[in-house]
Amino acid sequence: MKYEIILTAILVALPCSMLGCFLILRKMVMLGDAISHAVLPGIVIAYLVFDSRDPWMMLWGAGCTGVLTTLCIEILHKRFNVQEDAAIGVVFTFLFALGVILISVFAHNIDLDQDCVLYGEIVYVPLHRMDIGVLSVPVALPPLILVNAIVFFILIVFYPYFKLSTFDSAFAAGVGMSVGLWNYVLMSLVSFTTVAAFESVGAILVIAFLVVPAASAYLWSKQLKTMCLLSLGFAIASVCIGYMIAQQWDVSISASIAMGSGILFGISFVIHTSGKVIVRNKQ
Amino acid sequence: MYTKLICWIGCSWILLLTACTTTPSEKNKRPTIVTTTGMLADAARSIMGETADVIALMGPGVDPHMYKATEGDLQKLTSADVIIYNGLHLEGKMSEVLHALEKKNPSVYAFTNGIPSTKWRVLDATAQIYDPHVWFDVALWNEGVKALTVFLITKFPSDSVAIQRRSLDYQNQLDQLHVRILRQLDSIPVAQRVLITAHDAFGYFGQAYHIEVRGLQGISTVADFGLNDVSQLVQYITSRKIKAVFIESSISEQSIRAVVEGCTAKGHPITIGGTLYSDAMGSAGTPAGTYIGMVEHNVHTICQALR
Repeated sequence: MKYEIILTAILVALPCSMLGCFLILRKMVMLGDAISHAVLPGIVIAYLVFDSRDPWMMLWGAGCTGVLTTLCIEILHKRFNVQEDAAIGVVFTFLFALGVILISVFAHNIDLDQDCVLYGEIVYVPLHRMDIGVLSVPVALPPLILVNAIVFFILIVFYPYFKLSTFDSAFAAGVGMSVGLWNYVLMSLVSFTTVAAFESVGAILVIAFLVVPAASAYLWSKQLKTMCLLSLGFAIASVCIGYMIAQQWDVSISASIAMGSGILFGISFVIHTSGKVIVRNKQ
Repeated sequence: MYTKLICWIGCSWILLLTACTTTPSEKNKRPTIVTTTGMLADAARSIMGETADVIALMGPGVDPHMYKATEGDLQKLTSADVIIYNGLHLEGKMSEVLHALEKKNPSVYAFTNGIPSTKWRVLDATAQIYDPHVWFDVALWNEGVKALTVFLITKFPSDSVAIQRRSLDYQNQLDQLHVRILRQLDSIPVAQRVLITAHDAFGYFGQAYHIEVRGLQGISTVADFGLNDVSQLVQYITSRKIKAVFIESSISEQSIRAVVEGCTAKGHPITIGGTLYSDAMGSAGTPAGTYIGMVEHNVHTICQALR
Protein backbone atom coordinates (compact mmCIF):
# COMPACT_ATOMS: atom_id res chain seq x y z
CA MET A 1 0.00 0.00 0.00
CA LYS A 2 2.42 2.52 1.39
CA TYR A 3 5.18 1.33 -0.91
CA GLU A 4 3.00 1.84 -3.94
CA ILE A 5 2.57 5.49 -2.98
CA ILE A 6 6.32 5.90 -2.49
CA LEU A 7 7.01 4.11 -5.77
CA THR A 8 4.54 6.34 -7.62
CA ALA A 9 6.09 9.43 -6.13
CA ILE A 10 9.56 8.26 -7.14
CA LEU A 11 8.37 7.47 -10.66
CA VAL A 12 7.12 11.04 -10.91
CA ALA A 13 10.24 12.40 -9.24
CA LEU A 14 12.77 10.79 -11.58
CA PRO A 15 11.77 12.22 -14.98
CA CYS A 16 10.71 15.55 -13.50
CA SER A 17 13.93 16.17 -11.60
CA MET A 18 15.97 15.11 -14.63
CA LEU A 19 14.09 17.44 -16.98
CA GLY A 20 14.27 20.13 -14.31
CA CYS A 21 18.07 20.24 -14.67
CA PHE A 22 17.77 21.22 -18.33
CA LEU A 23 14.97 23.67 -17.63
CA ILE A 24 16.88 25.45 -14.90
CA LEU A 25 19.86 25.93 -17.21
CA ARG A 26 17.58 27.30 -19.90
CA LYS A 27 15.81 29.60 -17.40
CA MET A 28 12.51 27.89 -18.21
CA VAL A 29 11.91 26.34 -14.83
CA MET A 30 8.41 27.70 -14.33
CA LEU A 31 7.23 25.85 -17.42
CA GLY A 32 5.62 23.19 -15.23
CA ASP A 33 3.62 25.78 -13.36
CA ALA A 34 2.66 27.41 -16.64
CA ILE A 35 1.44 24.11 -18.07
CA SER A 36 -0.55 23.35 -14.92
CA HIS A 37 -2.59 26.50 -15.55
CA ALA A 38 -2.56 26.50 -19.32
CA VAL A 39 -4.27 23.12 -19.67
CA LEU A 40 -7.63 24.58 -18.60
CA PRO A 41 -8.90 25.57 -22.08
CA GLY A 42 -7.88 22.12 -23.36
CA ILE A 43 -10.04 20.51 -20.71
CA VAL A 44 -13.00 22.71 -21.53
CA ILE A 45 -12.66 22.17 -25.28
CA ALA A 46 -12.31 18.41 -24.81
CA TYR A 47 -15.48 18.51 -22.73
CA LEU A 48 -17.34 20.55 -25.34
CA VAL A 49 -16.18 18.34 -28.21
CA PHE A 50 -16.71 14.94 -26.62
CA ASP A 51 -19.54 15.99 -24.31
CA SER A 52 -18.14 13.99 -21.45
CA ARG A 53 -15.96 14.38 -18.38
CA ASP A 54 -14.24 11.07 -19.07
CA PRO A 55 -10.70 11.17 -17.60
CA TRP A 56 -9.08 10.01 -20.86
CA MET A 57 -10.71 12.79 -22.87
CA MET A 58 -9.62 15.30 -20.25
CA LEU A 59 -6.08 13.95 -20.43
CA TRP A 60 -6.13 14.19 -24.21
CA GLY A 61 -7.30 17.80 -24.11
CA ALA A 62 -4.77 18.70 -21.45
CA GLY A 63 -1.93 16.98 -23.35
CA CYS A 64 -2.69 18.88 -26.54
CA THR A 65 -2.79 22.25 -24.79
CA GLY A 66 0.37 21.37 -22.88
CA VAL A 67 2.27 20.89 -26.13
CA LEU A 68 0.62 23.99 -27.59
CA THR A 69 1.75 26.01 -24.55
CA THR A 70 5.38 24.98 -24.94
CA LEU A 71 5.24 25.64 -28.69
CA CYS A 72 3.86 29.14 -28.16
CA ILE A 73 6.48 29.89 -25.51
CA GLU A 74 9.29 28.66 -27.77
CA ILE A 75 8.03 30.64 -30.75
CA LEU A 76 7.62 33.84 -28.73
CA HIS A 77 11.05 33.43 -27.24
CA LYS A 78 13.02 32.33 -30.29
CA ARG A 79 11.25 34.08 -33.16
CA PHE A 80 10.16 37.27 -31.50
CA ASN A 81 12.90 37.62 -28.91
CA VAL A 82 10.56 37.86 -25.96
CA GLN A 83 12.38 37.04 -22.72
CA GLU A 84 11.88 33.42 -21.52
CA ASP A 85 10.06 34.30 -18.31
CA ALA A 86 7.91 36.92 -20.02
CA ALA A 87 7.00 34.45 -22.78
CA ILE A 88 5.97 31.88 -20.18
CA GLY A 89 3.93 34.47 -18.30
CA VAL A 90 2.16 35.78 -21.37
CA VAL A 91 1.23 32.37 -22.75
CA PHE A 92 0.00 30.71 -19.61
CA THR A 93 -2.02 33.63 -18.31
CA PHE A 94 -3.60 34.02 -21.73
CA LEU A 95 -4.53 30.34 -21.98
CA PHE A 96 -5.76 30.14 -18.39
CA ALA A 97 -7.90 33.21 -18.89
CA LEU A 98 -9.24 31.72 -22.10
CA GLY A 99 -10.20 28.62 -20.13
CA VAL A 100 -12.01 30.65 -17.48
CA ILE A 101 -13.92 32.53 -20.16
CA LEU A 102 -14.83 29.31 -21.96
CA ILE A 103 -16.15 27.91 -18.68
CA SER A 104 -18.25 30.99 -17.94
CA VAL A 105 -19.69 31.00 -21.44
CA PHE A 106 -20.27 27.31 -22.17
CA ALA A 107 -20.02 25.31 -18.99
CA HIS A 108 -20.81 27.55 -16.04
CA ASN A 109 -23.23 25.15 -14.47
CA ILE A 110 -20.99 22.13 -14.12
CA ASP A 111 -17.86 21.46 -12.13
CA LEU A 112 -15.09 21.62 -14.67
CA ASP A 113 -11.63 22.64 -13.61
CA GLN A 114 -8.25 21.02 -13.27
CA ASP A 115 -8.78 20.23 -9.61
CA CYS A 116 -11.93 18.26 -10.28
CA VAL A 117 -11.28 16.51 -13.54
CA LEU A 118 -7.54 16.33 -14.11
CA TYR A 119 -5.39 16.52 -11.01
CA GLY A 120 -5.09 13.19 -9.30
CA GLU A 121 -4.33 12.64 -5.65
CA ILE A 122 -1.44 10.43 -4.73
CA VAL A 123 -3.28 9.06 -1.69
CA TYR A 124 -5.77 7.30 -3.95
CA VAL A 125 -3.15 5.65 -6.13
CA PRO A 126 -3.27 2.29 -4.30
CA LEU A 127 -7.07 2.27 -4.36
CA HIS A 128 -7.47 2.64 -8.11
CA ARG A 129 -6.19 -0.66 -9.47
CA MET A 130 -6.21 -2.70 -12.63
CA ASP A 131 -5.27 -6.28 -13.40
CA ILE A 132 -2.43 -7.12 -15.72
CA GLY A 133 -2.43 -10.92 -15.98
CA VAL A 134 -2.26 -12.18 -12.41
CA LEU A 135 -0.85 -8.93 -11.09
CA SER A 136 -3.03 -6.22 -9.61
CA VAL A 137 -1.30 -2.88 -10.03
CA PRO A 138 -2.40 0.72 -9.47
CA VAL A 139 -3.76 2.26 -12.68
CA ALA A 140 -1.29 5.14 -12.33
CA LEU A 141 1.82 2.97 -12.53
CA PRO A 142 1.97 1.68 -16.14
CA PRO A 143 1.70 5.14 -17.76
CA LEU A 144 4.31 6.51 -15.37
CA ILE A 145 6.69 3.65 -16.16
CA LEU A 146 6.17 4.39 -19.85
CA VAL A 147 6.89 8.08 -19.29
CA ASN A 148 10.07 7.21 -17.41
CA ALA A 149 11.20 4.87 -20.16
CA ILE A 150 10.60 7.44 -22.90
CA VAL A 151 12.14 10.39 -21.03
CA PHE A 152 15.26 8.53 -19.93
CA PHE A 153 15.70 6.84 -23.29
CA ILE A 154 15.61 10.13 -25.19
CA LEU A 155 17.65 12.08 -22.64
CA ILE A 156 20.38 9.44 -22.40
CA VAL A 157 20.63 8.58 -26.10
CA PHE A 158 20.67 12.19 -27.26
CA TYR A 159 22.42 13.57 -24.18
CA PRO A 160 25.23 15.33 -26.11
CA TYR A 161 22.72 17.18 -28.26
CA PHE A 162 20.68 18.39 -25.31
CA LYS A 163 23.83 19.39 -23.47
CA LEU A 164 25.26 21.38 -26.33
CA SER A 165 22.02 23.09 -27.30
CA THR A 166 21.44 24.02 -23.64
CA PHE A 167 24.85 25.47 -22.91
CA ASP A 168 25.89 27.04 -26.17
CA SER A 169 23.13 27.23 -28.70
CA ALA A 170 25.13 29.55 -30.95
CA PHE A 171 27.98 27.08 -31.19
CA ALA A 172 25.55 24.21 -31.64
CA ALA A 173 23.93 26.05 -34.53
CA GLY A 174 27.37 26.83 -35.89
CA VAL A 175 28.35 23.17 -36.12
CA GLY A 176 25.15 22.46 -38.00
CA MET A 177 22.95 21.15 -35.19
CA SER A 178 19.25 21.86 -35.35
CA VAL A 179 18.90 23.70 -32.04
CA GLY A 180 15.22 24.36 -32.58
CA LEU A 181 14.48 20.67 -33.00
CA TRP A 182 16.14 19.74 -29.69
CA ASN A 183 14.35 22.56 -27.95
CA TYR A 184 11.01 21.31 -29.17
CA VAL A 185 11.86 17.73 -28.23
CA LEU A 186 12.78 18.81 -24.70
CA MET A 187 9.71 21.00 -24.31
CA SER A 188 7.41 18.27 -25.60
CA LEU A 189 8.97 15.85 -23.13
CA VAL A 190 8.25 18.32 -20.35
CA SER A 191 4.64 18.89 -21.31
CA PHE A 192 4.01 15.21 -21.87
CA THR A 193 5.59 14.26 -18.52
CA THR A 194 3.84 16.97 -16.54
CA VAL A 195 0.38 16.26 -17.91
CA ALA A 196 0.75 12.51 -17.35
CA ALA A 197 2.02 13.15 -13.84
CA PHE A 198 -0.75 15.66 -13.05
CA GLU A 199 -3.24 12.91 -13.79
CA SER A 200 -1.76 10.60 -11.18
CA VAL A 201 -0.38 12.85 -8.43
CA GLY A 202 -1.68 16.40 -8.86
CA ALA A 203 0.02 19.65 -9.76
CA ILE A 204 1.99 20.88 -6.77
CA LEU A 205 4.16 17.79 -6.56
CA VAL A 206 5.04 17.86 -10.26
CA ILE A 207 5.95 21.54 -10.17
CA ALA A 208 8.05 21.02 -7.05
CA PHE A 209 9.91 18.11 -8.66
CA LEU A 210 10.62 20.11 -11.78
CA VAL A 211 12.12 23.00 -9.85
CA VAL A 212 13.45 22.20 -6.41
CA PRO A 213 15.72 19.11 -6.75
CA ALA A 214 17.40 20.63 -9.79
CA ALA A 215 17.84 23.94 -7.97
CA SER A 216 19.41 22.19 -4.97
CA ALA A 217 21.68 20.17 -7.23
CA TYR A 218 22.74 23.31 -9.06
CA LEU A 219 24.08 24.66 -5.76
CA TRP A 220 26.41 21.69 -5.40
CA SER A 221 27.64 21.14 -8.91
CA LYS A 222 28.09 23.07 -12.11
CA GLN A 223 28.69 19.92 -14.13
CA LEU A 224 25.62 18.74 -15.99
CA LYS A 225 26.11 15.02 -15.41
CA THR A 226 26.78 15.39 -11.67
CA MET A 227 23.95 17.84 -11.41
CA CYS A 228 21.49 15.41 -13.00
CA LEU A 229 22.56 12.59 -10.69
CA LEU A 230 22.40 14.84 -7.62
CA SER A 231 18.99 16.09 -8.70
CA LEU A 232 17.68 12.52 -8.96
CA GLY A 233 19.13 11.83 -5.52
CA PHE A 234 17.54 14.91 -3.98
CA ALA A 235 14.19 14.02 -5.55
CA ILE A 236 14.21 10.50 -4.09
CA ALA A 237 15.32 11.81 -0.70
CA SER A 238 12.51 14.36 -0.67
CA VAL A 239 10.00 11.58 -1.37
CA CYS A 240 11.26 9.69 1.68
CA ILE A 241 11.34 12.73 3.96
CA GLY A 242 7.97 13.94 2.69
CA TYR A 243 6.31 10.61 3.23
CA MET A 244 7.58 10.52 6.80
CA ILE A 245 6.24 14.02 7.42
CA ALA A 246 2.86 13.04 5.99
CA GLN A 247 2.71 9.93 8.13
CA GLN A 248 3.80 11.76 11.23
CA TRP A 249 1.26 14.54 11.07
CA ASP A 250 -1.44 12.90 8.95
CA VAL A 251 -1.37 15.55 6.25
CA SER A 252 -1.44 15.70 2.46
CA ILE A 253 1.30 13.51 1.00
CA SER A 254 1.96 15.64 -2.10
CA ALA A 255 2.31 18.77 -0.02
CA SER A 256 4.66 17.07 2.43
CA ILE A 257 6.88 15.73 -0.34
CA ALA A 258 6.99 19.17 -1.92
CA MET A 259 7.92 20.53 1.50
CA GLY A 260 10.54 17.81 1.89
CA SER A 261 12.21 18.97 -1.29
CA GLY A 262 12.09 22.52 0.07
CA ILE A 263 13.76 21.40 3.31
CA LEU A 264 16.53 19.68 1.34
CA PHE A 265 17.00 22.84 -0.68
CA GLY A 266 17.18 24.84 2.55
CA ILE A 267 19.82 22.53 4.01
CA SER A 268 21.83 22.66 0.77
CA PHE A 269 21.56 26.41 0.67
CA VAL A 270 22.67 26.91 4.27
CA ILE A 271 25.60 24.50 3.95
CA HIS A 272 26.56 26.05 0.66
CA THR A 273 26.53 29.65 1.89
CA SER A 274 28.10 28.89 5.29
CA GLY A 275 30.80 26.93 3.45
CA LYS A 276 31.52 30.03 1.42
CA VAL A 277 31.69 32.15 4.55
CA ILE A 278 34.19 29.77 6.15
CA VAL A 279 36.35 29.75 3.05
CA ARG A 280 36.28 33.52 2.93
CA ASN A 281 37.19 33.81 6.62
CA LYS A 282 40.17 31.51 6.18
CA GLN A 283 41.38 33.60 3.33
CA MET B 1 31.83 23.84 11.91
CA TYR B 2 28.49 25.25 10.84
CA THR B 3 28.28 22.62 8.16
CA LYS B 4 28.69 19.78 10.61
CA LEU B 5 26.26 21.31 13.04
CA ILE B 6 23.58 21.67 10.41
CA CYS B 7 24.18 18.15 9.13
CA TRP B 8 23.76 16.81 12.65
CA ILE B 9 20.58 18.81 13.19
CA GLY B 10 19.19 17.60 9.90
CA CYS B 11 20.08 13.97 10.55
CA SER B 12 18.76 13.95 14.09
CA TRP B 13 15.52 15.46 12.92
CA ILE B 14 15.07 12.84 10.22
CA LEU B 15 15.87 10.10 12.75
CA LEU B 16 13.35 11.57 15.14
CA LEU B 17 10.71 11.50 12.43
CA THR B 18 11.36 7.84 11.60
CA ALA B 19 11.49 6.86 15.24
CA CYS B 20 8.09 8.19 16.11
CA THR B 21 6.10 7.18 13.03
CA THR B 22 2.69 6.31 14.29
CA THR B 23 1.75 2.72 14.82
CA PRO B 24 -1.85 1.88 13.92
CA SER B 25 -4.12 1.75 16.94
CA GLU B 26 -5.26 -1.61 18.24
CA LYS B 27 -7.92 -3.34 16.17
CA ASN B 28 -11.37 -2.26 17.15
CA LYS B 29 -14.05 -4.91 17.40
CA ARG B 30 -16.81 -2.70 16.05
CA PRO B 31 -17.00 -2.45 12.26
CA THR B 32 -15.80 0.84 10.78
CA ILE B 33 -17.83 2.82 8.27
CA VAL B 34 -15.99 5.56 6.41
CA THR B 35 -17.98 8.24 4.61
CA THR B 36 -16.82 11.20 2.58
CA THR B 37 -19.12 14.01 3.77
CA GLY B 38 -20.47 14.75 7.22
CA MET B 39 -24.07 14.41 6.02
CA LEU B 40 -23.44 10.80 4.99
CA ALA B 41 -21.72 10.11 8.32
CA ASP B 42 -24.76 11.46 10.11
CA ALA B 43 -27.08 9.17 8.15
CA ALA B 44 -24.84 6.15 8.74
CA ARG B 45 -24.55 6.95 12.45
CA SER B 46 -28.31 7.25 12.80
CA ILE B 47 -28.85 3.91 11.09
CA MET B 48 -26.04 1.98 12.79
CA GLY B 49 -26.35 3.56 16.24
CA GLU B 50 -23.61 2.44 18.61
CA THR B 51 -22.85 -0.75 16.69
CA ALA B 52 -20.36 0.81 14.29
CA ASP B 53 -17.66 3.46 14.26
CA VAL B 54 -18.55 6.05 11.66
CA ILE B 55 -15.80 8.35 10.39
CA ALA B 56 -16.27 11.24 7.96
CA LEU B 57 -13.20 12.11 5.91
CA MET B 58 -14.27 15.70 5.34
CA GLY B 59 -14.67 17.80 8.43
CA PRO B 60 -17.07 20.69 9.07
CA GLY B 61 -16.80 23.59 6.63
CA VAL B 62 -14.85 21.65 4.02
CA ASP B 63 -15.74 22.16 0.36
CA PRO B 64 -15.98 18.59 -1.00
CA HIS B 65 -14.96 19.68 -4.50
CA MET B 66 -11.65 20.94 -3.19
CA TYR B 67 -10.88 18.35 -0.52
CA LYS B 68 -7.24 17.28 -0.29
CA ALA B 69 -6.75 13.83 1.14
CA THR B 70 -4.22 13.13 3.87
CA GLU B 71 -1.96 10.18 4.48
CA GLY B 72 -4.30 8.85 7.16
CA ASP B 73 -7.26 8.85 4.77
CA LEU B 74 -5.80 5.95 2.84
CA GLN B 75 -5.41 4.06 6.11
CA LYS B 76 -9.03 4.80 6.97
CA LEU B 77 -10.31 3.83 3.52
CA THR B 78 -8.37 0.57 3.37
CA SER B 79 -9.25 -0.51 6.89
CA ALA B 80 -12.94 0.41 6.54
CA ASP B 81 -15.56 -2.32 6.46
CA VAL B 82 -17.92 -0.14 4.47
CA ILE B 83 -17.20 3.00 2.43
CA ILE B 84 -20.07 5.35 1.63
CA TYR B 85 -19.62 8.24 -0.78
CA ASN B 86 -22.02 10.71 -2.33
CA GLY B 87 -21.28 10.17 -6.02
CA LEU B 88 -22.44 12.23 -9.02
CA HIS B 89 -18.93 13.73 -9.00
CA LEU B 90 -19.47 15.65 -5.75
CA GLU B 91 -16.06 14.58 -4.47
CA GLY B 92 -14.30 15.44 -7.75
CA LYS B 93 -11.46 13.06 -8.56
CA MET B 94 -12.19 11.08 -5.41
CA SER B 95 -15.61 10.15 -6.81
CA GLU B 96 -13.92 8.70 -9.89
CA VAL B 97 -11.56 6.61 -7.78
CA LEU B 98 -14.31 5.36 -5.49
CA HIS B 99 -16.54 4.66 -8.47
CA ALA B 100 -13.84 2.44 -9.98
CA LEU B 101 -13.36 0.77 -6.61
CA GLU B 102 -17.09 0.18 -6.27
CA LYS B 103 -17.12 -2.13 -9.28
CA LYS B 104 -14.62 -4.48 -7.66
CA ASN B 105 -15.37 -4.08 -4.02
CA PRO B 106 -18.95 -4.67 -2.83
CA SER B 107 -18.30 -2.72 0.38
CA VAL B 108 -18.18 0.59 -1.47
CA TYR B 109 -21.51 2.33 -1.88
CA ALA B 110 -22.55 5.47 -3.74
CA PHE B 111 -25.37 7.13 -1.83
CA THR B 112 -26.94 8.76 -4.88
CA ASN B 113 -27.22 5.36 -6.58
CA GLY B 114 -29.97 4.59 -4.08
CA ILE B 115 -32.02 7.45 -5.51
CA PRO B 116 -33.78 6.75 -8.82
CA SER B 117 -31.84 8.45 -11.61
CA THR B 118 -35.02 10.07 -12.91
CA LYS B 119 -35.03 12.26 -9.77
CA TRP B 120 -31.50 13.56 -10.28
CA ARG B 121 -31.44 17.20 -11.34
CA VAL B 122 -30.03 17.39 -14.84
CA LEU B 123 -27.29 19.95 -15.38
CA ASP B 124 -26.16 18.84 -18.81
CA ALA B 125 -28.37 16.30 -20.53
CA THR B 126 -26.06 15.19 -23.33
CA ALA B 127 -23.00 14.76 -21.14
CA GLN B 128 -25.17 13.18 -18.43
CA ILE B 129 -24.02 15.46 -15.67
CA TYR B 130 -26.24 15.74 -12.64
CA ASP B 131 -26.44 17.99 -9.60
CA PRO B 132 -24.80 16.13 -6.69
CA HIS B 133 -26.25 18.25 -3.86
CA VAL B 134 -29.11 15.83 -3.13
CA TRP B 135 -29.18 16.43 0.63
CA PHE B 136 -31.10 19.69 0.29
CA ASP B 137 -34.29 17.85 -0.61
CA VAL B 138 -35.16 16.02 2.59
CA ALA B 139 -37.62 13.69 0.87
CA LEU B 140 -34.98 12.71 -1.67
CA TRP B 141 -32.42 12.24 1.09
CA ASN B 142 -34.94 10.00 2.81
CA GLU B 143 -35.16 7.81 -0.29
CA GLY B 144 -31.41 7.55 -0.27
CA VAL B 145 -31.49 6.61 3.41
CA LYS B 146 -33.96 3.79 2.68
CA ALA B 147 -31.68 2.37 0.00
CA LEU B 148 -28.67 2.79 2.28
CA THR B 149 -30.47 0.84 5.00
CA VAL B 150 -31.04 -2.08 2.61
CA PHE B 151 -27.34 -2.00 1.72
CA LEU B 152 -26.24 -1.88 5.37
CA ILE B 153 -28.51 -4.80 6.23
CA THR B 154 -26.86 -6.93 3.54
CA LYS B 155 -23.51 -5.94 5.05
CA PHE B 156 -24.45 -6.60 8.67
CA PRO B 157 -27.22 -9.23 8.49
CA SER B 158 -26.82 -10.28 12.13
CA ASP B 159 -27.92 -6.83 13.24
CA SER B 160 -30.74 -6.47 10.70
CA VAL B 161 -33.63 -6.01 13.13
CA ALA B 162 -31.96 -3.23 15.07
CA ILE B 163 -30.75 -1.52 11.91
CA GLN B 164 -34.27 -1.60 10.51
CA ARG B 165 -35.67 -0.16 13.73
CA ARG B 166 -33.17 2.67 13.98
CA SER B 167 -33.54 3.45 10.29
CA LEU B 168 -37.34 3.69 10.57
CA ASP B 169 -36.84 6.06 13.49
CA TYR B 170 -34.55 8.23 11.41
CA GLN B 171 -36.87 8.11 8.40
CA ASN B 172 -39.71 9.24 10.64
CA GLN B 173 -37.67 12.19 11.81
CA LEU B 174 -36.86 13.05 8.20
CA ASP B 175 -40.53 12.82 7.19
CA GLN B 176 -41.46 15.18 10.00
CA LEU B 177 -38.63 17.50 9.04
CA HIS B 178 -39.86 17.61 5.44
CA VAL B 179 -43.38 18.55 6.51
CA ARG B 180 -42.04 21.11 8.97
CA ILE B 181 -39.94 22.77 6.26
CA LEU B 182 -42.91 22.99 3.91
CA ARG B 183 -45.00 24.58 6.66
CA GLN B 184 -42.29 27.02 7.73
CA LEU B 185 -41.57 28.15 4.20
CA ASP B 186 -45.29 28.68 3.63
CA SER B 187 -44.98 31.68 5.94
CA ILE B 188 -42.91 33.49 3.30
CA PRO B 189 -45.02 35.50 0.83
CA VAL B 190 -44.91 33.96 -2.65
CA ALA B 191 -43.35 37.07 -4.19
CA GLN B 192 -40.50 36.92 -1.69
CA ARG B 193 -39.64 33.28 -2.26
CA VAL B 194 -36.27 33.79 -3.87
CA LEU B 195 -33.08 32.34 -2.45
CA ILE B 196 -29.95 34.14 -3.57
CA THR B 197 -26.56 32.67 -2.71
CA ALA B 198 -23.03 32.74 -4.04
CA HIS B 199 -22.97 29.45 -5.92
CA ASP B 200 -25.65 27.19 -7.30
CA ALA B 201 -25.89 24.50 -4.62
CA PHE B 202 -29.51 24.88 -3.65
CA GLY B 203 -31.14 23.54 -6.82
CA TYR B 204 -32.76 20.57 -5.11
CA PHE B 205 -33.91 22.76 -2.25
CA GLY B 206 -35.68 25.14 -4.60
CA GLN B 207 -37.23 22.32 -6.58
CA ALA B 208 -38.58 20.54 -3.52
CA TYR B 209 -39.82 23.54 -1.58
CA HIS B 210 -40.95 25.80 -4.43
CA ILE B 211 -38.39 28.52 -3.94
CA GLU B 212 -36.72 30.20 -6.85
CA VAL B 213 -32.96 29.80 -6.54
CA ARG B 214 -30.53 32.28 -7.99
CA GLY B 215 -26.78 31.84 -7.77
CA LEU B 216 -24.18 34.44 -8.59
CA GLN B 217 -21.79 31.82 -9.89
CA GLY B 218 -22.48 28.51 -11.54
CA ILE B 219 -21.81 25.25 -9.76
CA SER B 220 -18.15 25.34 -10.64
CA THR B 221 -16.20 27.53 -8.27
CA VAL B 222 -13.34 28.27 -10.67
CA ALA B 223 -15.22 30.43 -13.14
CA ASP B 224 -15.49 33.69 -11.28
CA PHE B 225 -18.65 35.72 -11.50
CA GLY B 226 -18.72 38.26 -14.30
CA LEU B 227 -19.60 41.92 -14.06
CA ASN B 228 -22.75 41.16 -15.97
CA ASP B 229 -23.71 38.50 -13.44
CA VAL B 230 -23.54 41.04 -10.64
CA SER B 231 -25.43 43.78 -12.46
CA GLN B 232 -28.09 41.37 -13.70
CA LEU B 233 -28.56 40.01 -10.22
CA VAL B 234 -28.73 43.52 -8.76
CA GLN B 235 -31.33 44.44 -11.40
CA TYR B 236 -33.32 41.34 -10.54
CA ILE B 237 -33.18 41.97 -6.78
CA THR B 238 -34.28 45.58 -7.04
CA SER B 239 -37.11 44.79 -9.45
CA ARG B 240 -38.41 41.94 -7.26
CA LYS B 241 -37.77 43.94 -4.04
CA ILE B 242 -36.06 41.00 -2.40
CA LYS B 243 -35.12 41.54 1.23
CA ALA B 244 -32.05 39.41 1.79
CA VAL B 245 -29.23 37.41 0.24
CA PHE B 246 -27.29 34.60 1.89
CA ILE B 247 -23.73 33.54 2.56
CA GLU B 248 -22.57 29.92 2.37
CA SER B 249 -20.38 28.34 5.01
CA SER B 250 -17.90 26.79 2.60
CA ILE B 251 -17.66 29.64 0.07
CA SER B 252 -16.07 33.06 0.47
CA GLU B 253 -18.59 35.81 1.13
CA GLN B 254 -16.71 38.35 -0.98
CA SER B 255 -18.81 37.81 -4.08
CA ILE B 256 -22.17 38.23 -2.42
CA ARG B 257 -20.97 41.44 -0.72
CA ALA B 258 -20.55 42.94 -4.20
CA VAL B 259 -24.24 42.30 -4.82
CA VAL B 260 -25.24 43.90 -1.53
CA GLU B 261 -23.21 47.00 -2.31
CA GLY B 262 -24.66 47.14 -5.83
CA CYS B 263 -28.20 47.04 -4.46
CA THR B 264 -27.50 49.67 -1.81
CA ALA B 265 -26.05 51.94 -4.50
CA LYS B 266 -29.25 51.55 -6.48
CA GLY B 267 -31.29 52.66 -3.49
CA HIS B 268 -32.58 49.23 -2.55
CA PRO B 269 -31.10 48.39 0.85
CA ILE B 270 -30.67 44.65 1.26
CA THR B 271 -29.43 42.68 4.23
CA ILE B 272 -27.31 39.58 4.41
CA GLY B 273 -29.79 37.07 5.72
CA GLY B 274 -27.21 34.89 7.42
CA THR B 275 -24.94 31.95 6.73
CA LEU B 276 -26.34 28.80 5.17
CA TYR B 277 -24.64 25.43 5.40
CA SER B 278 -24.31 24.24 1.84
CA ASP B 279 -21.59 21.67 1.16
CA ALA B 280 -20.67 20.83 4.73
CA MET B 281 -22.33 20.72 8.13
CA GLY B 282 -21.44 22.81 11.18
CA SER B 283 -18.95 21.75 13.85
CA ALA B 284 -19.77 18.66 15.88
CA GLY B 285 -21.60 19.52 19.09
CA THR B 286 -23.29 22.60 17.68
CA PRO B 287 -26.96 22.41 16.61
CA ALA B 288 -25.93 22.51 12.93
CA GLY B 289 -23.54 19.61 13.49
CA THR B 290 -26.14 17.03 12.46
CA TYR B 291 -27.97 16.71 9.19
CA ILE B 292 -31.35 17.58 10.67
CA GLY B 293 -29.88 20.48 12.64
CA MET B 294 -28.16 21.82 9.56
CA VAL B 295 -31.32 21.75 7.44
CA GLU B 296 -33.31 23.33 10.26
CA HIS B 297 -30.73 26.06 10.63
CA ASN B 298 -30.90 26.80 6.90
CA VAL B 299 -34.69 26.90 6.82
CA HIS B 300 -34.88 29.00 9.96
CA THR B 301 -32.34 31.49 8.57
CA ILE B 302 -34.18 31.73 5.26
CA CYS B 303 -37.57 32.25 6.92
CA GLN B 304 -36.25 34.87 9.33
CA ALA B 305 -34.68 36.89 6.54
CA LEU B 306 -37.34 36.69 3.85
CA ARG B 307 -40.53 36.85 5.86
